[in-house]
Amino acid sequence: MVRHDISDARLLALTGGAVAAIFAWFAVRPLLPEAWRVPGSPELYLTGIAGVALLLVPVAFVLMKRGGRSANPLGWFNAHVACSLAGMVLIAVHSGGFLRRPPALLLLALVALAVLGVWARVRGSRRMAATFSTKAPAFRVPDSATRDRLKQIIAEKRRLLQLLDPQAAEGTFSANLPHFIRHPRLAMAYRRLSREETLLLGTRQAVSAAQAWWRPLHMALAWLFVAGIAVHVITVTFFAGYVADGGPITWWHITAWGK
Amino acid sequence: MDTVNREPAERLALLIDLERCTGCKSCEAACKQEHGLGPGEYRNKVVWASALEEEGLAFLTLTCQHCERPACLRACPVNPKAITKDAVTGIVRVDESRCTGCGECVIACPYSAMGYDPKGHHAVKCNLCEERRAEGAATTACASVCPTQAIRFGKRTELLAEAAAEGRAPRDQDHFLLGPATIYLERLPSLDAATTGRIPARIQPQDTRRPVFMDARDSQATVMKSVPAFPYGSPREEVTADRVVPGGCNICFNCCSVNFHFKGDELVRITGNDNDPLLKGRVCAKSQLTLQLYHSEHRLRHPLKRVGARGENRFERISWDQALDEIAEKLKKVRDDYGPEALAMFIGTRTGTLDGRGYTRLFAQMWGTPNKDGTDPFCGAAKSVAFELTQGRVGSGNSYTPGDIGSASLYVYIGDNQAETRPVYFGMVNDWRIRNNAKMVAVDPRLTVTASKADRWLAIRSGTDMALGLAMCQHILRNNLHDARFCSDWILGFEKWRDFILERGYTPEWAEPITGIPAAETRRLAEEIAAADGCVIFASRGINQHTNGTQTNRVLMFLAAITGNWGRRGGAYFNMTHGSPIRANAPQHRRAKINRQKVRRSPAGWTDAMLHGKPYPLRALIACNNPLAQWPGQDKVRAAFEALDLLVHIELFPNETSAYADYVLPAATGIEKGEIGRSNDDRRIVWIDKMIEPPGEAKADGWIWIELGKRLGFEDVLQERYKDTQVFWDEACIGSPLIRGCTQERLHSVPWRWVRHPVASEDAPEIETLYLEGTTAPGAPPGHRFPTASGKLEFWTDEIESKFQVLGLSALPEFYSEREQLVDLPYLEFEHNDSDAGVISPFYEPATGTSRARIVSPAEAGCGAQLRAQGFDTQLLTGRPSAAHFHSMTHYLWQAEEMWPDLFCQIHPDKATALGISDGEKVHIETDHGAIDAVAWINTGIRPDAVFVPIGWGERQPYHPWRSVNFLTDKTQRDPVSDQTNLKSLLCRVSRAAN
Repeated sequence: MVRHDISDARLLALTGGAVAAIFAWFAVRPLLPEAWRVPGSPELYLTGIAGVALLLVPVAFVLMKRGGRSANPLGWFNAHVACSLAGMVLIAVHSGGFLRRPPALLLLALVALAVLGVWARVRGSRRMAATFSTKAPAFRVPDSATRDRLKQIIAEKRRLLQLLDPQAAEGTFSANLPHFIRHPRLAMAYRRLSREETLLLGTRQAVSAAQAWWRPLHMALAWLFVAGIAVHVITVTFFAGYVADGGPITWWHITAWGK
Repeated sequence: MDTVNREPAERLALLIDLERCTGCKSCEAACKQEHGLGPGEYRNKVVWASALEEEGLAFLTLTCQHCERPACLRACPVNPKAITKDAVTGIVRVDESRCTGCGECVIACPYSAMGYDPKGHHAVKCNLCEERRAEGAATTACASVCPTQAIRFGKRTELLAEAAAEGRAPRDQDHFLLGPATIYLERLPSLDAATTGRIPARIQPQDTRRPVFMDARDSQATVMKSVPAFPYGSPREEVTADRVVPGGCNICFNCCSVNFHFKGDELVRITGNDNDPLLKGRVCAKSQLTLQLYHSEHRLRHPLKRVGARGENRFERISWDQALDEIAEKLKKVRDDYGPEALAMFIGTRTGTLDGRGYTRLFAQMWGTPNKDGTDPFCGAAKSVAFELTQGRVGSGNSYTPGDIGSASLYVYIGDNQAETRPVYFGMVNDWRIRNNAKMVAVDPRLTVTASKADRWLAIRSGTDMALGLAMCQHILRNNLHDARFCSDWILGFEKWRDFILERGYTPEWAEPITGIPAAETRRLAEEIAAADGCVIFASRGINQHTNGTQTNRVLMFLAAITGNWGRRGGAYFNMTHGSPIRANAPQHRRAKINRQKVRRSPAGWTDAMLHGKPYPLRALIACNNPLAQWPGQDKVRAAFEALDLLVHIELFPNETSAYADYVLPAATGIEKGEIGRSNDDRRIVWIDKMIEPPGEAKADGWIWIELGKRLGFEDVLQERYKDTQVFWDEACIGSPLIRGCTQERLHSVPWRWVRHPVASEDAPEIETLYLEGTTAPGAPPGHRFPTASGKLEFWTDEIESKFQVLGLSALPEFYSEREQLVDLPYLEFEHNDSDAGVISPFYEPATGTSRARIVSPAEAGCGAQLRAQGFDTQLLTGRPSAAHFHSMTHYLWQAEEMWPDLFCQIHPDKATALGISDGEKVHIETDHGAIDAVAWINTGIRPDAVFVPIGWGERQPYHPWRSVNFLTDKTQRDPVSDQTNLKSLLCRVSRAAN
């Protein structure tokens, strides 16, 4: 079994490289031709497209990991790290140095995603390791109401599973992307029950908030970023005049609505 | 179990017996070896827990439960999942190649049994050693080594049937309907549960407190930073052994037989030896952790010469020739200026028995110094003198076999925490206790791991075991509970001693305010010992490390003897190691004449001679342990070492003593040189072959002494060919008729590599129990059941009396305790200090100086009272910390430091509350002799008026450096008979440490 993991040192080097590249870009920006300083110039426009293309890799990672199509989830994970960092650099370049405009929030989200990811890998990993043997709940007897509710949840999950995936066993099943695509309502209902069971087990509460919530936060930020990108693309394409705010429109657009 | 899924028919599981588990963490060591896990990476872990309201300890071996409804598996977001469950065996396993390291499984597992590799970023978990079993092993790594047989592996249904057949109940821990497979057996109730007495609580692992210091984040982070050397972290195929060499562990006094696994020339694993008919593959963590010793980055690798001031730790690398030439020249100068006696040699047990009783003994004889000794005066000298006086030979004649110790009906531990000092032996005793429904009683100021398994715990005041022993003897004699026939037939001086005991009024009521043990409890224990069909009394450092060490040992020996528990199966008095009759001797005509007495038996008594030249100068010291952590009264020891003309340190790791040394010589150990294991309770001599080369330019101790000897003209005695330890053993070490049959050929004729002595010839059978009625003691005249001059046990004779009188004492053991006590008790006042020649001890050869002493009554202005008036209101106890540590050696091994990181101070919650100290907080401990800091471990298992600080930590250790506890101890409080130092009863005060 071979694991091609990105070591802490390599991850820090990659991140450091990306940060250095961004700072270098800002440092040399005044010396560059004007096209590299004007938002929406063809050069920066293409840079933005390249950045987004790279940032599609993390999206693909999510789909491949959850969709049951990947033989090498770790490879996709590594690609998501590398492409995210490279994409972040290109998006920073794409910003043209205009950081007081709303789109800069997207760059901020990217930076936050990177910081969170690096923290999770370098520091959070130690907390994950140190979690071993630290939880007491399983050795405590819960109140009878909790136990009764757990029995109900399990029974309800089994009932749902007959409809959702009849071949699956409840004890080893969790709803994944294909289930959500095929039976969204059933999958959502199943997910709700699973979450309630987890809540009753108290396992997420038994670890530190940072350890418990970094990943949900990472995912939420990523979705926010995706949503932000969509908004950005729509506005620059369909509301170019509004975005240009009286200035020249140097990028490809459908209409200059908003001028 | 309230499960919701159908259980697989062939479901495999671990069974963990909470009654047997002693928290030794051997299973952790085995697991990390087996799976190459590094710091912070766990597949199993032993959790220590206690409660603030109850006196007791709980140990929970936590590992994957292989649930029917694994929460970890369901939490895994990867599709297909990186965690799978085997439909047949029920094993839940992680496919590390698919794991992206998100940690959702770690969060989801309510048992917190999902591990994580913080460097490789992936989940790790127990898979019940699938790879190991696929290679042919019958059981899991953890179960294979468990010293107490607390872990069993097999089909779950069969394990449950076994438990039921043994009348044992599994715990219900399926509180969340996950269907865990792992079976935990409930603890058994105390046999004394229905009666009065102090019963160690059967604490459950849940709802209990864990010692903060064990898992403190900063401490663990220090270990995490280390890069574990080969073979940890290596792919399995690179560390799968292709040959196994049997040998032994060279660390502690359990002397376990172990197997060394090699791939080519590389040592890749250390396990127990399953072929051993006695130990059956059981080993503690230490044996396994020596794997980290042989590959440690911290080892000394080259000879060094000091270039800075003493203590500055600045050295230059030099060649062996330069080092040995210069040392030899400097030794000659010391000899010319001050005489050969000016050389002192401190040969600690780290160096091995072959070195201590072989090479260095020859060197000292040739050189002409009597000032050579080891750690015995700090550890077991008192019991040795007591055994020699009473039985004529050191050590019990009993064995750790089912027919002998295993047949006892009562086990009494007095000042002996065997569970942590000889974990495998304790595992055997505990197993016999459970199987035979035998009773166990522990007498100790602390509720040790040993005491936590006992039916009753008597929390005695440290230093008063002699009073307890006297009171029990008095009660037995007054009520005619003794074995009258044994006493009349086999004890010399019985009547004299009996009359003394009865006259002195040593009643249980007299003892109660001294020991803190209710008179009724003393009577009860005495009656139980007298009535038992076989009682084994175990004593150890808690008895020895006192100024009354010899006399207390004698009293307890007498207690065992008068109840018929001597020279029978299942009845014995044990005090740690037996001692092996190994002696190398130079021919008489080649020995240098020694003109002066040995300054003192204990090296602690040498420092005045180093500092002040009295009674005569000691100017050079060759030290083979770490006296600058180990000797009592560290401030003075350091001053003494500053004053030396030459300090040579032979050691494995750089430490405090190295920093003060003129020359540091890197030593080899264990399988790097070939040696025998330590002497042990069971009279087993364990041979360890030389299997690998030491690191760098490190050399075997024997090599060093032979090479140094060459430069001093000793080569005809310290012969070149003796560098081969097997040759040295056969030709120079087994001259005694008691071990003449213990040859290399015989040792190598058995796959477990040990022979139980005495064996007079190669074909002489081993003797299970010595000194049985109707037998003659080996090496004694015909008809002598015991190896004394009279053939009987000797309590009192004119000769013994005259010996004691030389020191101002009587052979009839009159009670006294320590001068630093919380209550006023008689103690010893000495006539001489270490600067005086004193008197020549009648107990030792060669002529050895000691002090006369007298027992003085406590006075209001006595030492104890004065100290109490200064606020020293707490009794300080010192001792061994845990099964994973042994003195300082293990503090250089990352996993031992992961298990037990920081120097701790065990303190009762009442005292901690009064002082405003919280668990895990740094505390300051101060005695009249010095001060140190440690981390508080608040725990009910200790007398409220005492604190416990363990030995072994030092200021220059790589992971968790702390000042040694011996800054708090006092070299002047020594037993005049054995020269053993009081390390167990000093007055101290404790406070929160300043930040």
